[in-house]
Amino acid sequence: MKRVALALLALMLLVGLTAVGQAKLTIWADDVGTPVFREIAAGFTAATGVEIEVVEIAFSDLRGQFITAAPTGEGPDILVGNHDWTGELVVNGLLEPIDLGLRAAEFNAVGLEGFSYGGNLYGIPYGVENVALLYNKDLVPTPPTTWDELLTIAADLTDVESGVYGYIVQNPDPFHWFPMLSAGGGYIFGTDENGGLDPCDVGLATPGAVNGAIIFDQMIEDGLLANGADWDTMTGVMFSGNGGMVISGPWLIGGLRDAGINYGVAPIPSIPNGDGTYGTPKPFASVRGVMLSSFSENKTIAKDFLFNYIATEQVALELFAKDPRPPAYLSAFDKVSDDPDIAAFGQQGQNAIPMPNIAEMSSVWGAWSDAQALIGNQEADPIQALQAAVQQILDAIGCEE
Amino acid sequence: MKRPRLSLALVKVVLLCLLDAAAIWGIILLGVRGSYALLASLGIGTLLINFVSFSKRAYPLRYLLPGLVFLFGMVVYPIVYTVYISTTNTQTGHILTRAQVMEQLGQRTYAPTEARTFSSAVYQDEDELLRVLLTGANGELLLSEGDRFKDIEPDNPLLVRDDQGTIVAIGDFQLLNLGGLYSVLGQLETELFAYGDTFLKVLSVREFTEVLPLYAFDETTGVLTNLETGVTYEHVEGTFTAPDGSVIEPGFRVSVGARNYTDILTDEGIRSDFLRVFTWTVLWSLFSVLFSFAIGLGVAMLLNDPYIHGRMFYRSIMIIPYAIPAFISALVWLGLFNTDAGAINRILIDLFGSAAKVPWLQHPIWAKVMLIFVNTWMTFPYMMIISLGALQSIPSGIYEAARIDGASGLQRFSRITMPLLLISVAPLLIGSFAFTFNNFTVVFLMTGGRPPVLDAATPAGATDILISWTYRIAFQGVRGNQLALASAIAVIIFVIIATISAINFRFTKALEDVHRGV
Repeated sequence: MKRVALALLALMLLVGLTAVGQAKLTIWADDVGTPVFREIAAGFTAATGVEIEVVEIAFSDLRGQFITAAPTGEGPDILVGNHDWTGELVVNGLLEPIDLGLRAAEFNAVGLEGFSYGGNLYGIPYGVENVALLYNKDLVPTPPTTWDELLTIAADLTDVESGVYGYIVQNPDPFHWFPMLSAGGGYIFGTDENGGLDPCDVGLATPGAVNGAIIFDQMIEDGLLANGADWDTMTGVMFSGNGGMVISGPWLIGGLRDAGINYGVAPIPSIPNGDGTYGTPKPFASVRGVMLSSFSENKTIAKDFLFNYIATEQVALELFAKDPRPPAYLSAFDKVSDDPDIAAFGQQGQNAIPMPNIAEMSSVWGAWSDAQALIGNQEADPIQALQAAVQQILDAIGCEE
Repeated sequence: MKRPRLSLALVKVVLLCLLDAAAIWGIILLGVRGSYALLASLGIGTLLINFVSFSKRAYPLRYLLPGLVFLFGMVVYPIVYTVYISTTNTQTGHILTRAQVMEQLGQRTYAPTEARTFSSAVYQDEDELLRVLLTGANGELLLSEGDRFKDIEPDNPLLVRDDQGTIVAIGDFQLLNLGGLYSVLGQLETELFAYGDTFLKVLSVREFTEVLPLYAFDETTGVLTNLETGVTYEHVEGTFTAPDGSVIEPGFRVSVGARNYTDILTDEGIRSDFLRVFTWTVLWSLFSVLFSFAIGLGVAMLLNDPYIHGRMFYRSIMIIPYAIPAFISALVWLGLFNTDAGAINRILIDLFGSAAKVPWLQHPIWAKVMLIFVNTWMTFPYMMIISLGALQSIPSGIYEAARIDGASGLQRFSRITMPLLLISVAPLLIGSFAFTFNNFTVVFLMTGGRPPVLDAATPAGATDILISWTYRIAFQGVRGNQLALASAIAVIIFVIIATISAINFRFTKALEDVHRGV
């Protein structure tokens, strides 16, 4: 009896110990990226014998789960995500720097900038996207080039009773609102003397930003923009053919195509500054890429996978085929830019600036979104709401006035 | 003495064996990982179960024990952990432990001037020990011995070459193939091999490079020195800070005592948000319970009337709001209440013209009305069921006696029905109040705590209740996560609910005295 017990104990010890040892990579990706990464991983496994497990996690949960799981050792080796997570993850000690060396020239500079923090690169970009003006060619034959033209078209088309909206955009949604504020000179964080972002210089209440906010406020008061339109309302209006123009990104194109809408992509119209000049809207660039966890136990193998399998033109094109974001790998982008949509987004993207990726950004989104809601709900006037938001952000970050 | 039947004893022993085997496996895994707190709990739990099963005196405990184990694991442990976190400064930038941060900083290196890169080959012997052979740009060879590299002559007899000149063995060590190489890289990449006055570290799958450690830590003085720039850092509340104010990221978690609690009480912004959110939470629970009980009781009294036909049918369809999961009905109602496209506003516009469009989600008061309405709709069937049951328990003879004495309908209701009803229903009402107090699902799904309030210091909207406010601070707060502050608020919520429950017990005892008097 005793011998049997001892034998069982020894067996269990062996089982426990062999659980450590076999080289394996884990990748976390969302529902769109998972099938692509599984295919790429199969090639890597065939060449090196290293198993790769791609785990699918809902995109909205990826960042939070990574922050919780990585320090316990349960996290992935490689994480597929957005560039604005970089600051928060680096500050929590969760990302490993990646040195591309001379190969950095193969990538879109905006993409690399998005994943850089404190002078180091923490991710390899594979898709750079920004918003532009998407319009229904049946309702709006020629897209407007200035905001005044847009207002005229919207005034002609909008008929709330029958559910037709000349212009619609998700609100409150600071990401889509930023082009209006940046046209006149609004910005989130200014740059400091080292070229990095200065979190205590928040430019959301500059005269240019206030100008954009006043135009937004006026549109809601005139009934030209639905207050509180969320994603479902906006897609419902656009996909049923009742929407003339919308500011959105490449993610909407799939739905527009499926709904059979005759759509076009144009740059966002310029915003009047009030003194006769017009400002060019600068939308945010959002970069999707691949990051390396600092708690990975196979960093060398993971870097091998990233450099020799992910950072190649072939994979960039495969990712583009499944997830149509303009590729960050320059030679792949050249190959796909005969698609007029991609070319149009790319043209707008020349004026795009990457979303700030520092951790303080999460304080910004909440206060900024609230300011837009207060203006839209007519509970505060634009300058009051934006100044309160800036004050709230500075207090939350802990800047001294 | 009665001997237990052999088959039962066998079953008991087999089950215990399986449990012990699983526990030992779990303990070994936890030991390998280093989770000693869980390991201790698992070990003590298993020992207790074994003791209770075999000891005659403790045998009666066997029915309580699984419940006690789960109570400890799922209730007591999370509470203790939350209280612990609330006394620390856990937030974005401070989520790692000190040991983890020191390990990360120890791994950081910088390249010395003119750092050389070597191509590497890894060899392994039968005992799974490794040796690494490096080849420099000029053909010089370095061989690893333990944790150092030493120069080695190309004509050293240990080196065994094949026809192409590749070194395939060094003594007993054989060159690893690609698959073998990949499986040992994880071990090699964390080591710093000394060589001369620099160190060598893995650069890629087949390369090593010269590095120097970036930080040196003096245990006695607690000073961290950056060996490249010479700047010294001392830790201030979990962050290594230099005299000029620059910091090293990441920081780590340290204990800050009761500061999170005092912040809630003394910091004006947090305190005003707390009072506003607390007031709304109490009002929300109160009105929800009140309205749903009123409607539920009303419907129950109607359904209790024997003269109504089709009572079964009405009862069945009235249950539906309670039966549908809160998740689904909250989202459906959210769609119905949509300001522009929702059915409710469209009906109001049709009936009263477009001035009647109500900004359900955008106006603070209307958002609150909407939430109370939806929660009442979801809860009144529950109140209807418990009222039906309680109404049955009131003997009809009392009503007849009251009618004979000349009591009116209203008097019968307020003097007979309500007091007797409340005896059985009061604890359920208080339980419902406590549940609604913490009803995260409905509030977060429908409004997310918004619409926003001007000049709020923390993410606290007009419809935030305490628990949704805690969630927003924890995951949408300053710089991302403010887990410590959120834990402190969670502990305060716990104290409030515990007080409500204590009052619950007192209250039911008081009503029992009333019953005895009747």
